[in-house]
Amino acid sequence: MSTTAATQQRKFQSYVAMTVALVSFGMLFAGLFLGYFLARFNAPVWPPVEIENRPQLVPLLSTLLIALSSFTFWRYETGLGKGRMWLQATLILGLAFMGAQWALWGALARSGVLSVNGMISSMFYAFTWLHAAHIVGGLAALGWLAVTPWTETRTTNVGKFWHFLGAIWLLMYLMLFVL
Amino acid sequence: MAFLEQHIHEAPTSFWSKYVISFDHKVIAKQFLWYGIFWLLVGGLMAMMIRWTLAFPGTPFPLIGHMLFPHSGGIVPPDTYAMLFTLHGTIMIFFAITPILNGAFANYCIPLMIGARDMIFPTLNMLSFWFAMASGGVLLASMCLPLGAAAGGWTSYPTLSTLMGQPGAGQTMWLVSLFLFGISSTMGAINYITTVITLRAPGMDYFKMPLTIWGMWLTAVLNAIFVPVLGAGLLLLIFDRVFGTTFFLAGAAATSGKGDPVLFQHVFWIFGHPEVYILILPAWGIVSDLLSFFARKPAFGYKTTALSMTAITILSTVVYGHHMYTTQMSPLLTQSFMTLTMLISIPSAVFYANWLGTIWKGSIRFTSPMLFSLGVVFVFGLGGLTGLYLASTSIDLYLHDTYFVVGHFHYTMAASVLLGGFAATYFWFPKMFGTMMDERLAKWHFWCTIFPLNGIFTGMMLVGYAGMHRRIYNPFIYEFTQKLMPINTFITLSAVAMGLAQIIFVWNFVKSVFFNKEKASDNPWDVGTLEWTVPSPAPVHNFDEIPHVKCGPHELGNPNLTTGRDFQYQTEELVKA
Amino acid sequence: MEALLLNVVGKLGPAMEAPLRLAVESMSFWERIQPPEDITTNGHLIMWLFNYTTWVNLFWFALVCIGLFGFSWFYSAKRHKKPLYTHGTDKQHYMITAGIGVLVFLSVDMVITKVSTNDMKNVFWQFPDQEPDIVRVQILAQQWMWNIRYAGADGEFNTGDDVVTNNDLRVPVGKKVLVELTAKDVIHAFYLPNARIKADAIPGRLAKIWFDTNKTGTYEIACAEMCGAHHYLMRGVMTVLTQEDYDRWKSETEKIAIATNDQESPDLRWGWKWGNF
Repeated sequence: MSTTAATQQRKFQSYVAMTVALVSFGMLFAGLFLGYFLARFNAPVWPPVEIENRPQLVPLLSTLLIALSSFTFWRYETGLGKGRMWLQATLILGLAFMGAQWALWGALARSGVLSVNGMISSMFYAFTWLHAAHIVGGLAALGWLAVTPWTETRTTNVGKFWHFLGAIWLLMYLMLFVL
Repeated sequence: MAFLEQHIHEAPTSFWSKYVISFDHKVIAKQFLWYGIFWLLVGGLMAMMIRWTLAFPGTPFPLIGHMLFPHSGGIVPPDTYAMLFTLHGTIMIFFAITPILNGAFANYCIPLMIGARDMIFPTLNMLSFWFAMASGGVLLASMCLPLGAAAGGWTSYPTLSTLMGQPGAGQTMWLVSLFLFGISSTMGAINYITTVITLRAPGMDYFKMPLTIWGMWLTAVLNAIFVPVLGAGLLLLIFDRVFGTTFFLAGAAATSGKGDPVLFQHVFWIFGHPEVYILILPAWGIVSDLLSFFARKPAFGYKTTALSMTAITILSTVVYGHHMYTTQMSPLLTQSFMTLTMLISIPSAVFYANWLGTIWKGSIRFTSPMLFSLGVVFVFGLGGLTGLYLASTSIDLYLHDTYFVVGHFHYTMAASVLLGGFAATYFWFPKMFGTMMDERLAKWHFWCTIFPLNGIFTGMMLVGYAGMHRRIYNPFIYEFTQKLMPINTFITLSAVAMGLAQIIFVWNFVKSVFFNKEKASDNPWDVGTLEWTVPSPAPVHNFDEIPHVKCGPHELGNPNLTTGRDFQYQTEELVKA
Repeated sequence: MEALLLNVVGKLGPAMEAPLRLAVESMSFWERIQPPEDITTNGHLIMWLFNYTTWVNLFWFALVCIGLFGFSWFYSAKRHKKPLYTHGTDKQHYMITAGIGVLVFLSVDMVITKVSTNDMKNVFWQFPDQEPDIVRVQILAQQWMWNIRYAGADGEFNTGDDVVTNNDLRVPVGKKVLVELTAKDVIHAFYLPNARIKADAIPGRLAKIWFDTNKTGTYEIACAEMCGAHHYLMRGVMTVLTQEDYDRWKSETEKIAIATNDQESPDLRWGWKWGNF
């Protein structure tokens, strides 16, 4: 069989597997989103007192960092592995995102959003902890890309995961901090 | 789409790479099988302790009672009883049935039946087994804790499952164990789905796949989508227990508690209802195939059976609320769940009609796989119909949390799946291990199992109808259940009988794996699916040459065959009737 | 069987003798499996639907068994050497299969759905809160007992004169009883076998359940949701009294409550304003 047909087949296999994997990861977060929606639409008053002073600057910063990191990774993907600096930039931005999350947790606590205050406040932490755990996985995957030779499928797959985490963060940001 | 053939790898040589850290789907399948059988026995022993306590409260458990419960004179104490029914449910569902049907048989059958050399991601497959082992290890460890293992029911509803109801680490370890197990399941699901979609041999269209593969594939889809939702629920509960969040804590003395315990129920049952279909779909697929094979005629209405199973898979996602009727959700929600639940009857009736159509005018060979498959037809029919009572909101007011529910789900989940699993074991044993299991012992196993099995679960439905509620340590204290004691004793005696009958199976299995010298032929059952075109046991690389599929999996009984056989291999050109 | 059970008596002590004797005492199998006596005006609705479902289920299951056992007999390889080679894809086959699906749905599911919906809408969800002459009770489930509260002489709940009992629910025969239900610690479920109903008692939530009785006597209350190691001990007693006996009990206990309720104790105020949680 010709190499292009083989590559095409491999790409398809990769695509199916990544899709299933992302559906699974998505459903994990969906469980949390469901909880949040149920709590939100059953809450007598919105926003509840305990999250009135939720931080705005730090989460915005986090959003910008992760959005930028998706951009830099996209540049790396389209450069077909030539521009290693884009990969490095993604890694740095990812680490910066984790730093911003660390700052976010402090900011949340200082603004009065504490997990003991109830379900909604607890959701802030559940979401950000779970997301951060996946970012760590994503950073490990990026690191793995940095130390291994470039292949298209590998890069595409890691990219899908990384962009997925960015999309989840965007949803979280809108839901928890904006709306 | 062109077909990409998997390479033939060098066969592993060391003991370690052959049997322990193996990437071969067949070895991993056998690992899951042994693992599942181990936990089946553990869960079964726990069931015996539960039944003993219900039938003979106040008497020490025979033989090992004094050793296990020295402080209560050998009698199972109430808090241990709670642990026993919690772990019995957890173990049977996650550590027995799922590893056997979904870990072992899905792993074994999928590549062989679709004409592939292995799963698409052998490393992921291997990891899936070891995550399952880790999960089992954590659960075993939780049983050794001073405050004991989880004891909040297998459904672990908060607030009983929060620190307030279950102090200590047992419940937390239970949650971690199931989370690890969920990772194992999801890994398996990714593998199974991708393998079926991308590695089917040339000519194997979706509607030429054996129905076993349909069952396994639909199971994997449900696993991929819904196990993570359980994961979310488990995580939230872990956060409540370990990190001081308050998702589910309400009205609890310790905190201000503005959480909602019912949220857990929603998240749990969104997973939980598809889970019961995850447990039964492999068995449905297997039985659909075996009925055809041993009636020596094609599966009746193959396409509609496959589509019915798909319809049920889809419907199963929107009916979960029928587990929560008594939490008094809004009438609109409650009604919707009832109506949707009822809809499942239609595809179920269709594939039942197809099953009967398959054996109608067949030429039935009553081998042990066939006996067990017919057994599934019986017990699932009974069990499925009893679900109708529970689907009704008004009848459920009476039957919720009674033994009627226990009887119902054991018939559908335990009896059907167990019998299906036995059918699968007897059927694929020669391909897996290269020898046949003793057919005479197998038939004894069937008859010694089927009668007490019905005794147990019909008995449960009767006491449930009489109002006896579940998870009760000593029913004697209620006047309305006292008259049911002889029936409870009957259930226990049936359980003992059924338990003893399994010794026949275990003995037969171990004997045949290790001590049977007579080799099995390539195709002892005279059946045309692809796994029977290779030697028994299947070689490491499965197929020397990837087969080209030319006909369906149930080409039996064609009167125009000239080969001297009454069936066609899937690699043969279809002979027109 | 009897010897086995009597053996148990010795281990359980004299308290268990009476129940054991009841268990062992000769009662026909049919009697044994009957649900507890239905003492309400609406319990029969549930049992009617149960019985209807049983009849249709028996019908369809009988058909399955006739197929299963009949075909196994008539079409065994010994008796029927040549199988019929069909894929079940003839138009006729599809019609029969589809027909069965539709018939099952119409005869079983549609009827159950319709009757159930009607019963829930017209009876079980028709909480009698607006009706004049009903008995209102607040029940707080806890590990492992039922706290029961009546409004007392002033007719207001959670006030100093409330009549509070443990595991002791008394109601007058023939009157509707409306229960507001919640739990203190974990999820419990208030189950009245003789009324065929139950409702979950969930901490942080207020549940409602109602019933009306038509026979005096003492009946049991059980907990129907796993609530801990002593879940089995959560037994309460509902005493259905004649209207006069109930009135007498009510006035007596109200007087006792006013006289002896410890106004300082926070335990007295576990209730809530009726309808407001």
